[in-house]
Amino acid sequence: MLDTAPAVRRAPGRRTSGRARPGRRPRFGPYLLIAPTVLVIAVLMFWPMIQIGIMSFQKVGNRQLRGEPAEQVGAENFDKILNDPFFWQTFEHTVLFAVVAVTLTLVVGTLVGLLLNKLGRKMSGFVAGGVMVAWATPPVTAAIIFSWLFGTTGGLVNWFLDLLPDALVGGGWLDYNWFATPLSTYTVLTVCVVWQACPFIAVSVLAGLKSVPGELYEAARVDGSGPWRTFWSITYPMLKPIFMVLLVMSIIWDFKVFTQLFIMSGLANRDAFNLSLYAYSEAFGSLNPKLGMGSAIALVLTFILLIVTALYVRVMVRQGETR
Amino acid sequence: MKYIKVAAAAAAIALAATACGGEKKDDAADAGKDPAQLKVWMMGDGTPEQTKFLDSVETEFKQKHPSTDVQIKYVPWPQVATTFQKAAAGGEGPDVTELGNTDVQSHIEQGSLADITDEFNGWADGKTLNKTALGNDTSDGKIYAVPWYGGVRGIWYRTDWFQELGIQQPKTWAELTAAAKKVQDAKKVPGIGIPSDQTNALLSFIWGNNGAVAVEDGNGGWKGQLDQPQAIEAVKYYAGLVSTEKVAPEKYIGKNELEGPQRDFALGKLGMYIDGSWALKEMKKVSAKNADKWGVFPIPSKTGGNAPVMAGGSDLAVWKDSKAKAAAFDYITVLNNAKNAKGWADYSGFSSMRSDVKFTDPKLEIFTQIATNTKFPPIGPGWAEFEQAKKVLPNTVKAIMQGKNADEQMKKANEQANTLLNP
Repeated sequence: MLDTAPAVRRAPGRRTSGRARPGRRPRFGPYLLIAPTVLVIAVLMFWPMIQIGIMSFQKVGNRQLRGEPAEQVGAENFDKILNDPFFWQTFEHTVLFAVVAVTLTLVVGTLVGLLLNKLGRKMSGFVAGGVMVAWATPPVTAAIIFSWLFGTTGGLVNWFLDLLPDALVGGGWLDYNWFATPLSTYTVLTVCVVWQACPFIAVSVLAGLKSVPGELYEAARVDGSGPWRTFWSITYPMLKPIFMVLLVMSIIWDFKVFTQLFIMSGLANRDAFNLSLYAYSEAFGSLNPKLGMGSAIALVLTFILLIVTALYVRVMVRQGETR
Repeated sequence: MKYIKVAAAAAAIALAATACGGEKKDDAADAGKDPAQLKVWMMGDGTPEQTKFLDSVETEFKQKHPSTDVQIKYVPWPQVATTFQKAAAGGEGPDVTELGNTDVQSHIEQGSLADITDEFNGWADGKTLNKTALGNDTSDGKIYAVPWYGGVRGIWYRTDWFQELGIQQPKTWAELTAAAKKVQDAKKVPGIGIPSDQTNALLSFIWGNNGAVAVEDGNGGWKGQLDQPQAIEAVKYYAGLVSTEKVAPEKYIGKNELEGPQRDFALGKLGMYIDGSWALKEMKKVSAKNADKWGVFPIPSKTGGNAPVMAGGSDLAVWKDSKAKAAAFDYITVLNNAKNAKGWADYSGFSSMRSDVKFTDPKLEIFTQIATNTKFPPIGPGWAEFEQAKKVLPNTVKAIMQGKNADEQMKKANEQANTLLNP
């Protein structure tokens, strides 16, 4: 879309100036237009990121926040965390959670998208409205709702599981503590995060499906292709660019999940920490903040995400090339 | 037209961005003069009753400082650490602030509090204040804060159930376990609520067995005592109520006393749990149906007698960056005079740190008795990280409740105590 714009803009008169390209005056207009955005991003994003980079090599506490010069400690912070088995435990949690949550989000989201495409106008609107509520719910609200749903006294899930016959799900559900072990905590977390993230996938897939020409499906039907075959032979290849973008974005989102886990299990359950929570507990967990350590952890997380983002940009650029 | 809109938006954003830092009112009036505004930070969510109480304090304060406007800001407890960080970084701090007493030493060490030794010595009421609590507000002989209120914890129980089942007030650990078992068997509710994230309760068991988290090593540092047999035995007993005796439910693992036990006890779904005098009004909010059947007994030590309890509570301090230190200290003296101290104790259920103010509610009388035997954990500058950021004891207790080896876990916890308590 964007690459066609200059062609339209180019005034015919300009052409006559021939090869005078090197001598052309730089055009400030476009830069002026993006300047406010760049400025805001620079102030709100780049500057803090640079600060984090600087702080990760320092020892920063409340005294330093008050204006005292910070002590340079070199790579000590990184040395400490990379040699700490606890860091690797949180790293493992982060990666495992991302793998499971991303897979589930994409599968469930795609299924909902396919369903929306199949439904009639009214029903499709109704279902879309329903899933949008999940998307519009703020993470804090969603986390509180889910910790209530899975809570002990008055928790809906435990109550329901207890009602089911014991032969099916076992007994003793009424007092089951979902947030006692990492595995069960992450089960609830995954349900919560997938519930919130799949609407976006569904709507994106739906938008893609609308652009696939109907003749292709017609032809497939005539050739006797079932739904499974149709999906993998037509829908998936046609929507591959969309899926790639959704995949990378989901990975980025699920890597940095913090709010939900913070509310559900908090600082008293270190065995369920992920990288974001670990960074938070170091930097903001107490009145004796270790902002340097927190920055170092955040920087490692950022580094991982940068790799994923690089992948994302590559995908975007590739898509641009094929068009 | 679009350009104009974009330019307008850009200008608006730029204005908004600079407005944050630009407005710095010059209230650098002489310290002796009345400031136009006195910012007071109170910890907790705040209630209409509390606001009403503080309004009356302000009225009294204005008799001396008629031109000063008192601005109250409530800081919810979970946001305390980050709010004070912002205050330190941005310079937008309070004049007077309430502080959790376990945090005072950290604040002093970070240089956030004003030295109020002279003002304190000129305040006649200062002599009525609890000496141990005042000691916690002192560093190198200088006073940085004033004890305001305190709270101690006991074991809440159901008087009707104890009577019906013929249970005497437990005086030892064994009797406590037996009482919990009896309630659990007869009433079909968990006998006692033992959350893993309740260090203040755990400390009473460690102290009740003559153990300690750490002791002073004589060089101004702390030496961990968690690998000693007394502490290990206490933690084993505490965690064992869940894992081996099974008189406490697993559903409170990873939680604190407010995330379940308090609500369940108020609803009649739990036999006993450990909390302070202030819990009474919170539980009445949940359900006042059985309120007249709630009672409290002191946490027993292993072999008999009351275990020492942690003296929790809050202190009042003048923020170092305050431009109106004299008025700020005046506010503290009004807030903590005999009349207001009593009014506060009556509303909040916390006991005053003044020796001349006593509890009036007979139900809470027992807490006055419990409060005669208090102790402090190793509150140095490192305690904040040991207890708040790393939550060493809660996570150790959790691991032991879930079947990990107690001796190993306590050894690890002790190593962390040795490093974290000596920052």
